[in-house]
Amino acid sequence: MSLTAGSRPDGTRSVAAVEEPTAAVGAATATGRVARRTRKAAREGKVPWRVRLRRDRTLILMTLPVILLLVLFNYVPLLGNVVAFQDYDPYVSSNGITAIFHSPWVGVEQFSRMVDDPLFWSAVKNTILLFSLQLVLFFPIPIALALLINSVIRPRVRAVAQAIMYLPHFFSWVLVVTVFQQIFGGAGIIAQTLEKHGWTGFDLMTNSDLFKYLVTAQAVWKDAGWGIIVFLAALAAVSTDLYEAAAMDGAGRWRRMWHVTLPALRPVIALLLVLRVGDALSVGFEQFLLQRDAVGVGASEVLDTYVWNMGIQNGDFSYAAAVGLVKGAIGVCLVLAANKFAHLLGEQGVYKK
Amino acid sequence: MTPNASSASSAPSRRSFLASTAVVTAAVAGGMPLLSACGGSDSGSRDGATSGKAAEKLLPTYVASTVAQPDIPSKNGSSAGYTGKVDLGALVASVPDKLGTGAPFKIMSPFWGTPPKAGCAYYAGLDAAAGTKITWQNQDGNTYGQKLGAVLASSSIPDMVVVPGWELVGKIANAVTAKFMDLGPYLAGDKVKKYPNLAAIPSDAWRMGIFGGALRGIPMPSAPASSIVPYYRKDIFDKKGYEVPKSAAEFLSWAKEATSAKAKVWACGDMSWSSGGIFGVRPSGSLGWNIGDDGKLTYRIEDPAYLEALEWTRKLFDAGVVHPDDKARSGDAGQRFTAGQILVFNTDTSAWYGKTAEQAQSNPEFIIEGMDIFGADGGDPKLWAAQPAGIWSMIRKGASKATIENALAAADFAAAPYGTKERMLVDYGIEGTHYTVKDGVPVKSDLGNSEVLNAWGMLSAPAPYYAHPDFPDIARKQAEWQQRMGAFMKKTSTYGMNIVEPTRYANLSSQFEQLELDYVRGNRKLSEVQAAISTWKSSGGDKLRDWYKQLIDQNGSGN
Repeated sequence: MSLTAGSRPDGTRSVAAVEEPTAAVGAATATGRVARRTRKAAREGKVPWRVRLRRDRTLILMTLPVILLLVLFNYVPLLGNVVAFQDYDPYVSSNGITAIFHSPWVGVEQFSRMVDDPLFWSAVKNTILLFSLQLVLFFPIPIALALLINSVIRPRVRAVAQAIMYLPHFFSWVLVVTVFQQIFGGAGIIAQTLEKHGWTGFDLMTNSDLFKYLVTAQAVWKDAGWGIIVFLAALAAVSTDLYEAAAMDGAGRWRRMWHVTLPALRPVIALLLVLRVGDALSVGFEQFLLQRDAVGVGASEVLDTYVWNMGIQNGDFSYAAAVGLVKGAIGVCLVLAANKFAHLLGEQGVYKK
Repeated sequence: MTPNASSASSAPSRRSFLASTAVVTAAVAGGMPLLSACGGSDSGSRDGATSGKAAEKLLPTYVASTVAQPDIPSKNGSSAGYTGKVDLGALVASVPDKLGTGAPFKIMSPFWGTPPKAGCAYYAGLDAAAGTKITWQNQDGNTYGQKLGAVLASSSIPDMVVVPGWELVGKIANAVTAKFMDLGPYLAGDKVKKYPNLAAIPSDAWRMGIFGGALRGIPMPSAPASSIVPYYRKDIFDKKGYEVPKSAAEFLSWAKEATSAKAKVWACGDMSWSSGGIFGVRPSGSLGWNIGDDGKLTYRIEDPAYLEALEWTRKLFDAGVVHPDDKARSGDAGQRFTAGQILVFNTDTSAWYGKTAEQAQSNPEFIIEGMDIFGADGGDPKLWAAQPAGIWSMIRKGASKATIENALAAADFAAAPYGTKERMLVDYGIEGTHYTVKDGVPVKSDLGNSEVLNAWGMLSAPAPYYAHPDFPDIARKQAEWQQRMGAFMKKTSTYGMNIVEPTRYANLSSQFEQLELDYVRGNRKLSEVQAAISTWKSSGGDKLRDWYKQLIDQNGSGN
């Protein structure tokens, strides 16, 4: 992406960035190890980090507030994960933090409890199933929508279509589920219409077998429109010269899409895919919590609702922390694996080697 | 399903709780796991219970109120009823002098609705009348447990905290003893006489305020008689010529007849709570333990009635007589009831008045009536008494003497009985600002409806009563229904004791609520429920039984 490409806000290209392509060519021709060494030398040998620090100080200063927030709210709380190895009672001491020092250590007991709990495995199964479904049924839709929107020429039609597609994103899950209930529920519009024509018993909202498709459909309706934004941005960056040149060479509509549009989207798609896979174990929370009773926990329990139920509802913080920790560890592995895969495909992924 | 009065009320009360001011006190039956502590002193164990002579020493002296006497006195554990009009011009004061000294303090309490702004006319007016200076921290009642759990784990606990029994899950029950102070030095014995309204709270309710061997909770008393009513649309029943069902089988066959999906009418909502009463299932929490006629101590889920009630409820769902939205647990069953989409639904007694008042203008034909709970086979039902209190206000450990005295003054003000100036202020606010009097009946203004909600009403309450100046007949029906149901009421061996279970058993039974929901909706098999019951026994239930056995041996049985 443009952020990693080395161009600076003022438009000048940094030394390192200029040097980069050379290194990349080297990587393509020479063996991997040599390439890496060459690139390392090219990057660090010629511009010491002190110089780079001074050169990029404005940029670094600009990121400081965000880094501070990240450290404060994302990294410091990570320390609290130690309760996963305790039988944590937040009330043994005058406050929840000092209580950590007064709670007994239990080693990996919480983790073995987790392994032995059939409900946990049912939650894992549902989570993976839903993630796969979302990947297949949800992920391509924003791309298709973006291409569709991009092909609309008239600005007004385009604006209206975009607004309609973005709108559901701003509805809360409570509202989305209620709307679905009013349409697809046993007393909803479809059921009532069918009833009038002699078909009885339509109730999509309490059908535990179809639940996975139902929630995917809800997610598509709510968020697919919102998801097109990043693709539209990528499409806007494609120079019209390329299209014109392709058209001149006699490329039709489909060939232009295949050879110009989709290659332009490829890095973004790869990036989002890596991020999505890294987030595979988070398939949604509120949506499942709200529909938990309608279809039963057998179909609706995912890892996040499981953690919430154990930790917040039952007050079993240590156990919930243990499950959350495992979830986080698996997430890291998935990001690394997906990123590796992106590299193999020749894409950048979320970070470079 | 959380059958029967006590624990069942937790769920409806969280939402509809205190929807109407006049039912404040009676709206809530017990809370879920009612806690307490074992004979120990402050330094002693946090779990257990205190009853008998040990408890009597801790309790405040009872001094009955002499203000307005109810025309329907409490009987069979019912709430009292006031059906006569109260002369608003001649209200008496229950607190002779302002007890508050104006020292500022903070109260955290659950709130259903949009909290009014700090310093609003209601808060300012009540402060002026009680001599207090309260900073309210009104927290969303629906997620109060999460807030409470976090606040108790922080080092800045508000001076006074309202603790509903149904939030005492996991380790919070034990935290109460650790974080809140012993009020004995201010209230035990004759000391309570400084606070006449607190002295008029029945001793049974006070006994429920004992946590960790000390009096820590100022109770909101509630009636032990059933408070979950199976309501039906009398107007529609009359029009269609339906007879009110008198047995479980009759109900099912009536429901099949009354359901017509085509006409968008279903017989009922989720009847799980009523099924507990019909089949005689004991409430969840400590009240679920009882020594049977065979001398064996069992928990509710081991009682055959538990599965019978679940199976009957499932039959209703399977037969398609339950509204699909109730099956999906979506929306508000009360609204479907008033819209005529369901003809029967169950919730606490407060809906009797709430729905009547709400529909009086827009739907004059609407008549809501409470069905008498029938026994499964058509005979008398076997109902179980709810605990006499399940919501407390507590004062944090380390609060200054001035803070404690002001907090107690506020609680005393909130516990003023019906027919006093204080009660009127708490329930209706300030005349002219929050309500006006029409034909001797107070009518809230828009400001009254937005400001006079459930802040002060949460601090304490007098002995439970019903009174609705605008619909006095409803108060009579509520009280009489409770009296009739109270006649079939029995107490479990754990009644009247505030029992705190050891934390290692805290989550032993937590899965059953969801299991019940899933089973009756056809999303779990009976064998899975049975398996959960045997797992419960082997993974701690039998040990918990021994613990209860010892506790009942020490404290004496509650029945």
